Amino acid sequence: MDHESIGVMEELVLLTVGSLHQGAYALTILEEINEKAEKNLDVTTIHSVLRRLEKKTYVSSEMGGATAERGGRRKRFFQLTAAGKKVLDQNMSLRMELYSKIPKFTFSPI
Amino acid sequence: MNNQPPKWATNLLAWYCRPELLEDLEGDLFELFDYQCKKYGSQKANWFFIWYVFRSFRPSTLRFFNSTQTKRLMLTTHNFKIAVRVLWRNKFSSLLNISGLSIGIICFLVLGLYVLQETTFDRFHQKADRLYRSYLFENYGEGHTFFNSVTPFRFESLFEEDFPEIETAIQVRLINTQVGVFDKRINERIAIISPEFFQVFDFNVLKGSSQKPFDNRKSIILSRSYAEKYFGENDPIGKTIDIEMDEDFEPFTVSAVFDDMPFNSSISFEMAVSNELNNEIYSELTLNHWFTVSPETYILLREGTSIESVNDKMQDVVMSYLGEELQRDEYNIRFQPITDIHLNPEIPVGNSTVNNPKYVYILGFIGSMVLILACINYTTLAMGNSLKRNKEVAVRKVLGALRPILISQYLTESVIIASISTAIGTITTLLAIPVFNALTNSTLAYSFEWFHLAYFGGLGLLIGLVAGIYPVLALSRGKVLTLLQNTSQSKASHGVRKAMVIFQFAMTVFLLTSTLVMQKQLNFLQNKDLGFSYEASIAVEIPTDPTLQRMSERVVAAEQNHALLKAEISKSPKITDVTMGSHTFGSRTWAHMAFTDKNEVFRRFYFLQVDEHYLEAFDIKVITGRDFEEGSGLDKRQSIIINQAAVDYFGFENPIGEKLPGNEFGEHQIIGVIDDFHFSSLHNKVQPLVIAQSIQLIYQGISDADIGGSVLPKLLFKFQGQNLIEAEEILSESWDKIFPNQGLEFHFMDHAIQQQYESEAQLKKLITVASTIAIVIAAIGLLGLTVLVINSREKEIGIRKVMGASALQVFILLAKTYSIQLVIGIILSIPLTLWLMNDWLNNFAYKITLTPDLFIKSGLLALVIALLVVTYHTLKAALINPIESLRDE
Repeated sequence: MDHESIGVMEELVLLTVGSLHQGAYALTILEEINEKAEKNLDVTTIHSVLRRLEKKTYVSSEMGGATAERGGRRKRFFQLTAAGKKVLDQNMSLRMELYSKIPKFTFSPI
Repeated sequence: MNNQPPKWATNLLAWYCRPELLEDLEGDLFELFDYQCKKYGSQKANWFFIWYVFRSFRPSTLRFFNSTQTKRLMLTTHNFKIAVRVLWRNKFSSLLNISGLSIGIICFLVLGLYVLQETTFDRFHQKADRLYRSYLFENYGEGHTFFNSVTPFRFESLFEEDFPEIETAIQVRLINTQVGVFDKRINERIAIISPEFFQVFDFNVLKGSSQKPFDNRKSIILSRSYAEKYFGENDPIGKTIDIEMDEDFEPFTVSAVFDDMPFNSSISFEMAVSNELNNEIYSELTLNHWFTVSPETYILLREGTSIESVNDKMQDVVMSYLGEELQRDEYNIRFQPITDIHLNPEIPVGNSTVNNPKYVYILGFIGSMVLILACINYTTLAMGNSLKRNKEVAVRKVLGALRPILISQYLTESVIIASISTAIGTITTLLAIPVFNALTNSTLAYSFEWFHLAYFGGLGLLIGLVAGIYPVLALSRGKVLTLLQNTSQSKASHGVRKAMVIFQFAMTVFLLTSTLVMQKQLNFLQNKDLGFSYEASIAVEIPTDPTLQRMSERVVAAEQNHALLKAEISKSPKITDVTMGSHTFGSRTWAHMAFTDKNEVFRRFYFLQVDEHYLEAFDIKVITGRDFEEGSGLDKRQSIIINQAAVDYFGFENPIGEKLPGNEFGEHQIIGVIDDFHFSSLHNKVQPLVIAQSIQLIYQGISDADIGGSVLPKLLFKFQGQNLIEAEEILSESWDKIFPNQGLEFHFMDHAIQQQYESEAQLKKLITVASTIAIVIAAIGLLGLTVLVINSREKEIGIRKVMGASALQVFILLAKTYSIQLVIGIILSIPLTLWLMNDWLNNFAYKITLTPDLFIKSGLLALVIALLVVTYHTLKAALINPIESLRDE
């Protein structure tokens, strides 16, 4: 499949994983999205999207960083992969291309 | 972590979650829990945690949803795809299957709905398990018995005061009275009920109070449709209606409106007043009398008590009141559950009609049978089809398909077929209910609820499994080698197929014969010489003067009104034979009198009051003696005529000049004996009947009277024209001249006579529909089988023709295939038909005998239909050029 499609939610999570560098796990991603995008998602949605992205190989994960609050459980940290970066680039360029074609006067009042 | 999330939720997560995901998922939820504890408190955090655990329950986290499971899911979709392709490829047999099953399902659903409706009568009351109707059985020995489900007035207080087990007793009495609207009067049926009515029964009160529906004694409550009838869109509360009560019209104020009573309720009325009025309408004596029956009395038991404890005490209580007059166990007050009323013909009819449970069960049986026939159709067709599919199964087996996989594969097909049929069948049924109601005079009602989809889905699945299981098992059982050799099926499954065809034919012919028997019996009932001529006879209710207290005075007043109307209506040349009778043909409420004769034997007879033209008007034959003489005062005062049944009953040797064998009858003598004409329905033998011109004649001598309807004289006449509407016009014109303010009420007697057999006619219609459907299903099945057999024997036919067989010989060969099974089916149907139809015919005192020609007719009809179905394809096969069938290989 050379053209894997990617949904809005997936794109949002993928961007957030990329923007968080090293510290991206479900709860930080959730916090980031809810704050920046002013949404009210719950954690299970993020989990579900992350699992999908990992299956599509756009992110990779490794375990680490157990804390007391977590009852000694490790976190699953996510990282953007090369394929993930590529699909984001494609999406961005497509959008920019289309956006640049919008005539300016559309917004000016008559 | 100070606070712990609920342990069970953690366990649940650990149980369903895939192990490799569990650690970080749990960790995330714990961390979030900790955070939310601080923010919202532990209570709320607990809820969030549980919510997240449930929300995490997704295919991607489930451990059961591992890769092998996904394979099964894939297999199901694969099965589905293959099944659809197979069904699409065999369009012809799929079409036959679907249409056969759909028709079967329609029949099943319609009859099922009918049975359901009949058996769930009165079950909508929440307290139905504690509700009973009382009935009274008086037994004084020697056949001197009275049996009524309407009861004395005093039962209400008796039950409430003497039985602590009984919470409330409710009276329901229906009376016919007149309602004044402007200057017109309309005959209406009004219920007189206890004010606590709505606290006991579950009928919705729309306006006004259900606790206290009547504001005072002069309050009336209306059903929604009657509120509309009388007041249209206006708010009826507080408006008045004039009701004739006892003497004259009195205004009643509407104080409540209730929802229309459902069809499946034994209690049904449109307007009601409070039974506190009883004190005004009836005398103290009547209200406290033990032997005058009038209202139905219902009771509501207290919770935790049983009807047995009431029954146990009953005789002691009765004896405490009636101990001086009666022996123990002579006066029996008993109870039947409210849900028992509609289908228990053992107990006399009260306010509402009672259905014969036998008919309901017969229809239920037939509905299920037709569905089973449709399933058998599918089974036999599928088994026929399997001939073709042996190779397919063999290849699948060679490639490693296990039996369960094969079974699920083929069951998918049958379930798909069944589901499509169920969808078609249910939708058609829902659309067809009004048509069905119109066709059979029934009142089926169905309102769709979403949860019914589950029933329909379940029905589809069940039919698919039942119809599909046998061919599937047979098909998947075979050894690869035998399957590949493509010898035809095993002997066993061949036998099963034959048995099914036989069964199908037996049932079809049974239904066919039953239809013929019912047809014949109903024709017999409708065409039997009843001993009188009633064509174009019309009966008109005559008004009386309601202010008169005594019944005899009211009768006289009505007789005078009768004379007025008679004089007016006789002016029309098209109206002849104007006469008078206290009862009309087709009515079930002829006055039933009783007395104890000189030998202390309790005697009953029916009584009819007429005028001197009656016998002549209806061509009733006088066997011995004479008819009433016109204008003879002596005849009017002293002469009676009895029927032959009465002669036999009273044991007269030479009845002319004799008297009725009672002690206290006045001066009278029998002047004539008439033939037994059927004044009541043909369900019963003709009963003893006494005819006189005045009720005074026998009034003194009778000890008991059972008068269900009005004994007031009716005007009876015959119309000689063609157009009955003209008769109506003449009648209402004369009526308006004489009784301008009265509502005219009349009916055609032939119609009333037909009405006596309404439930039988309805049953016949239902069975006709069912047997038509059964024939169609059988024809479809036979058609499918024929095509399959011909296909599998194509080469054989080709070879036979090459060897010199004629087209006729081939045709006979093929047509012979099923004729033996057909004949066996026909023979097997005979005992079943004989048994059930004799049982049904026993409902009638006058009935046809089951003659062989009925069976021969239906058998021949079945054979002809079968032959017609088989012929087309068989002929085609027999006429085909052998080259066509032998060429391809």
